[in-house]
Amino acid sequence: MTVLGYTIPAVLSVLIVCALEVTALRTGLFRRPAYWLSMLIVVGFQSVADGWLTKLSAPIVVYDNRQNLGVRFPFDIPVEDFLFGFALVTAVLLLWERQRERR
Amino acid sequence: MDRWQYVLVLAACLAITLPLEIFRPGVYRQAWRAVRAVLPVAAVFVLWDEVAIWAHIWTYNPDYITGVSIPFHMPIEEVLFFLVIPLCALLTYNAVNAILDRFTRR
Repeated sequence: MTVLGYTIPAVLSVLIVCALEVTALRTGLFRRPAYWLSMLIVVGFQSVADGWLTKLSAPIVVYDNRQNLGVRFPFDIPVEDFLFGFALVTAVLLLWERQRERR
Repeated sequence: MDRWQYVLVLAACLAITLPLEIFRPGVYRQAWRAVRAVLPVAAVFVLWDEVAIWAHIWTYNPDYITGVSIPFHMPIEEVLFFLVIPLCALLTYNAVNAILDRFTRR
């Protein structure tokens, strides 16, 4: 049975982080070109590092494919990892930016 | 040697991003600001990870991890992941900001 125990929380994590910025933190991070350019670079390097961690020939992290969409791209990376990474990195950058404003 | 694979991936991430600290104002030079940005987020993601491991949504290949873990069955490498990757992202963001500022000031 497919229950998407990775897909659903991954989508939710992105929505929660975006909602945090819009409703509470209001750092303006999403309006900064430096943020979007950084995210492009992060996704590029993530593909290499995460590609190594998730490669099906000798995986370091093993996924139950009933819990994700089964779409593994690029290399063998579950696409959910990019939502997970987006939420993780964006949340940290938001807290980093919030401290800029307080000074 | 294979048992160090996950650790080596994280070490490579730190090594590759370290030179980005030359850009001002830096991340390691604002250690307390970095701690306050990384730790709260890492705490939430460690909890998520713990639940995912408990539910077998993902697991770790014992061949490629050191075997050192924190409760409850979470490899130490995965804990370090939530410190290392945010640091790499902050260093990237710090560098991109510094480079873009240089262009817009001209």
